[in-house]
Amino acid sequence: MSGKVRGRGMAASWYGIARTATIDRAGAWAELDDGGTAKVVTGVTEIGEGILTVLAQIAAEELGIKPEQVTIGDNDTARSPEAAHAGATRQTYMIGNAVALACREARARLVAELADFWDVAEDSIEAFDGEIWAAGSNLKMTMEEAVDLCKKRGVVPLGSGSFSTDCTGLDPVDGSGSPWQAYVYGCQVAEVEVDTVTGEVQVLGMWAAHDVGRAINPRGVEGQIEGAIVQGLGQALMEDYKIENGHTTTHGFAKYILPTALDVPQINSIIVEDPDPLSPLGAKGIGEPALIPTAPAIVNAIYDAIGVRITSLPATPEKILAGLAAKHQGDNISREAAE
Amino acid sequence: MPDLKMDMTVNGRRVTKPAGPHMRLLDYLRDELGLTGSKEGCGAGECGSCSVFVDGKLMKSCLMPVAKADGAVIETIESLAQNGNLNPLQRAFYKTGASQCGYCIPGMVMAASAALRENPLADAEEIKERLGGNICRCTGYSKIFEAVEIARDVINGTLPATALDAPGAGQSYIGNNVRRLDAPGKVTGALRYAGDMVMPGMLHMQVLRSPHPHALIKSIDTSAAEAMPGVACVITAADVPGVDGFGVFVHDQPVMAKDRVRYVGEAVAAVAAEDLLTARAARDAIKIVYEPLPAVFDPEAAMGDGAPVLHDYAPDNIVKHIPIRKGDVEKGFAEADLIVEQTYSTQPVEHAYLEPEAGLAYVDHDGVVTVVSPSQNITHHRHMLAKIIDKPIHKVRFIMSPVGGGFGGKEDMIFQGMLALAAMKTGRPVRLVFSREESIVSTAKRHPARITCKMGLKNDGRITAVDFRMISDGGAYGMSTEGVMRKAAILSCGPYAVENVKIDTYGIYTNNTPSGAFRTFGAMQAQFATESHLDICAEKLGLDSFEIRRINMMRDGATTHTRQKLGSVSLGRVMEAAEQASGWQAGPPVSRGLARNDLGGPGNRRPCTLGARLRPGSEQLREEVA
Repeated sequence: MSGKVRGRGMAASWYGIARTATIDRAGAWAELDDGGTAKVVTGVTEIGEGILTVLAQIAAEELGIKPEQVTIGDNDTARSPEAAHAGATRQTYMIGNAVALACREARARLVAELADFWDVAEDSIEAFDGEIWAAGSNLKMTMEEAVDLCKKRGVVPLGSGSFSTDCTGLDPVDGSGSPWQAYVYGCQVAEVEVDTVTGEVQVLGMWAAHDVGRAINPRGVEGQIEGAIVQGLGQALMEDYKIENGHTTTHGFAKYILPTALDVPQINSIIVEDPDPLSPLGAKGIGEPALIPTAPAIVNAIYDAIGVRITSLPATPEKILAGLAAKHQGDNISREAAE
Repeated sequence: MPDLKMDMTVNGRRVTKPAGPHMRLLDYLRDELGLTGSKEGCGAGECGSCSVFVDGKLMKSCLMPVAKADGAVIETIESLAQNGNLNPLQRAFYKTGASQCGYCIPGMVMAASAALRENPLADAEEIKERLGGNICRCTGYSKIFEAVEIARDVINGTLPATALDAPGAGQSYIGNNVRRLDAPGKVTGALRYAGDMVMPGMLHMQVLRSPHPHALIKSIDTSAAEAMPGVACVITAADVPGVDGFGVFVHDQPVMAKDRVRYVGEAVAAVAAEDLLTARAARDAIKIVYEPLPAVFDPEAAMGDGAPVLHDYAPDNIVKHIPIRKGDVEKGFAEADLIVEQTYSTQPVEHAYLEPEAGLAYVDHDGVVTVVSPSQNITHHRHMLAKIIDKPIHKVRFIMSPVGGGFGGKEDMIFQGMLALAAMKTGRPVRLVFSREESIVSTAKRHPARITCKMGLKNDGRITAVDFRMISDGGAYGMSTEGVMRKAAILSCGPYAVENVKIDTYGIYTNNTPSGAFRTFGAMQAQFATESHLDICAEKLGLDSFEIRRINMMRDGATTHTRQKLGSVSLGRVMEAAEQASGWQAGPPVSRGLARNDLGGPGNRRPCTLGARLRPGSEQLREEVA
């Protein structure tokens, strides 16, 4: 075996959504505002995952307006309700549901006024994309008009939402407990090409199937999967913070090697939706879990290609070549033994 | 040295503002001209976040002394959107979701502009090659490639301009690819991160860090630093008015080292001064006498008798041990037809968010101590800082600035306390921006782990028992180690129904760089071991990789390793989806790559050889298009 050889490997994974083994909670305020717009206020901001857009989509859907009409007031312990931290794959689940609950309360205030004005049942009123109407009638107005009407009747249509999870801590002796109320599962297949002369591994394709509960923004979910896979690829093949007697020798990006555009495989994402039954939205999360199966899938694919089992990350060219040499020696010994 | 006279054209306007002789082009653009769209990610020409055009050529402005740019024509990210209208490339980034945290994006847009200027017909492979000098840590690059290809086709007229439009409302805004609301501010460089923010009267902070992995601080002499003109204050642990200590689970880390340093890069003192150069000079004038102590760098050595103890409360150096016990593993191993034991290890990994840590603190007109920073946990940081500075909690305010990548690395309150103390001591706004080197040496890493997995199985593939032991280097402070060990333990044995498990995860103090929260919080390390292990077992049993997992997978109503009863379990669905999408050819994992017939399908990219995709014909192509 010499030159460039390919192989495939797979790995599965699971992950828990939101804080571990503790009651998680998040709050939000919402107000249907002048012009048929909305203000949503909550205590976290974007760390890049797209949460502000997701929250705007949730608010738009719940209130019956457009996402771009939602202004998110975020990120301030003195001006916004507690949403706790931006991590633990909890943003869509915790803050998303808090925003949905807040919006439902704000919308109910507006709907009560409109139902009285139109003399229809509250549950006949529907709204979407900036318009509000009573089903089965020709009664319809823009959300701008509806907010105006509501305010002229003396009511500001606002609401608040608090969402929490029902979890328990772990027993200190046997670890028993219910750490999360929502779990997600994933599975990835990697296809690699190993250069047996240089030891270099290229990941050419990844197929990634992940349960996200309900995809609020499918393109955003793909973006999370793609980013996670490339971080997982970095850990599998090249990234290594080196430290000798307490001093790092990799103190810049010239020494600490990160994946670039040339290292990226084609990533084929498959979004699976198994809605969460315990929350208003049914969405779960994707930020962290998509990283988990990447490294083992790649390492299993390397084994498939060249028969070298990498047990110590990263799978550097040096380790690949050492593994090939050991395997070659082993092959020779067993051949001699057979002779 | 006197200021340099400058005369250059920046974004179509003549600029003659003098420059400091030490300045790089990036400093001049950001600090003198206020063009903060160009970002500093590494200061070493490695990441490309600071890319601009100099006389039409793509340059990394962190590598160019400003003097060299005298007389040049400079274009920055701010020049691309005319009157606020995004250009086709920016609109394509907006359309595809190519920006996530956005910090690398101005540089990425400039590099993509250069690619299409160099070769308007660049194919996908050439685009990748031309973006190879720009690092993005969030997106996995895929949506960026897609954006550049769409922009190329729209510019060339082979795709209609409507390809850049927003998707419609459809039937619902849930399940809708709504374009990211924050993208326009990111693709234009308009969004200001903490390091881009300025306030009137703002001071600049620099931090003196420990050169020793473990040492006693015998004395700190700040007199020379404090006497320097332009220095507003020097702070040390002695300036902390309240209970000094922070951490996500255990508050074992002082704002600045108190009496003792425990890792190289730990903050010991900080200076706030009128300008950065003065702050640096004053930092270097602080005299500290250390007495080195024996240090320990290996977690297993740190657990042993006689090892140096880092924290008095933990004489065994154990930050946290999480045990999980279910069933009877000895009985399970006795029932097994096959027992496989293997040790795995994973390395420490740097978050490498493109935005180095930065923050700005001030005391407002109501006496509220306010810290603006890309903190991933303003709620907890407020709790901790209130105790540290001894203020009522409503007199402490945290504002979360746009986070230029976090991945868990910005959950720790590693520098916000120093900013607050300096703002309180001086009554002025104080800003700190980390260098890349400072970020790497002083902030947490992904926990390296050493894992031994012993698994017993029946010949039909059923797992009868797992003994899973993981030892992780937590470094010098607790940070998120407790939670990381907990999550690693709970998830360690994977989504498989196993009656008998014995799981132990240990986070250990050493004098290495601290380990902390990092995307997956320990689950990646643990499941790397388990998923590698399952393939080893599958080979020995002659089972396909999917098959061995299907035999053991948790199903609806399963009981987890912590004895939680689950509802719906989607694992079977996701495995089937991945198997079908990849066209997986079943068979045991016996290193059968050469014999497979499912390789090289359409879901792969082409393998690459560096440089081979820059076609010599590019020049001709450009003329044809022109």
